[in-house]
Amino acid sequence: MTVSRRGRRSSSAVLIYVIILMAMQVFLVTVAAEAFQAYERGLAWATAIVSMVLFAVAALFLRYLRP
Amino acid sequence: MTDQPADGPSSPPGWRRDFPYQAAGEEEVTRREFARYLVLGAGTLAVGNLGLAAWTQLRTINQGEPRPIVAADTVGVGETHLFRYPADDDPAVLLRVSADSVVAFSQKCTHLGCVVYFEPTEDRWHCPCHEGNFEATTGAVLSGPPTRRLGRIDVEIRSDGMIWAVGREREG
Repeated sequence: MTVSRRGRRSSSAVLIYVIILMAMQVFLVTVAAEAFQAYERGLAWATAIVSMVLFAVAALFLRYLRP
Repeated sequence: MTDQPADGPSSPPGWRRDFPYQAAGEEEVTRREFARYLVLGAGTLAVGNLGLAAWTQLRTINQGEPRPIVAADTVGVGETHLFRYPADDDPAVLLRVSADSVVAFSQKCTHLGCVVYFEPTEDRWHCPCHEGNFEATTGAVLSGPPTRRLGRIDVEIRSDGMIWAVGREREG
């Protein structure tokens, strides 16, 4: 199967997006740990919701990634 | 470290000799599989964040029981007294603001948990780790990296001549 240069480039872009989303997830874990330490329930739930949204976006990106 | 072969184009790279292990099918990971691993990792972290939020919600917060801390006449105006509240591993500090007024705070800086101390010349709480400063009587952030004020402990001078801690400020 041949993949056009444009297709390969968009695949790379998607992969980079996924990597960035993964890095943001790691950051969010530190925020959640901070919220846990400080008993900040609102911040903890907000972090969890954002984290789930990022995961959903990453999963969505996966659909558009060429093999 | 370099990927260039040490002995010529046909010999393996140097790092391969130093680390002569090969995972099954390591040459066959496609970018889609790699991205899938990343997404799986992101999902694991998201579930972890959800678990942390639930744990934060469900954990009981020790607000402390009322108990005497120190005799009021042993702490002069402008002086501080270190104590532990609400548990023995919670450092706290009280400040005698005036003859009939005291304030107390958790001694943990809200930035990264270093111990704060009172600077009488500046009339503020100071964290030496990252130069965080807090207002003396309210614990509000004055400057530095902290974004939250110091955790307040409610204290009062009672008729028995003792300074009592009556509970920690409710947070969250």
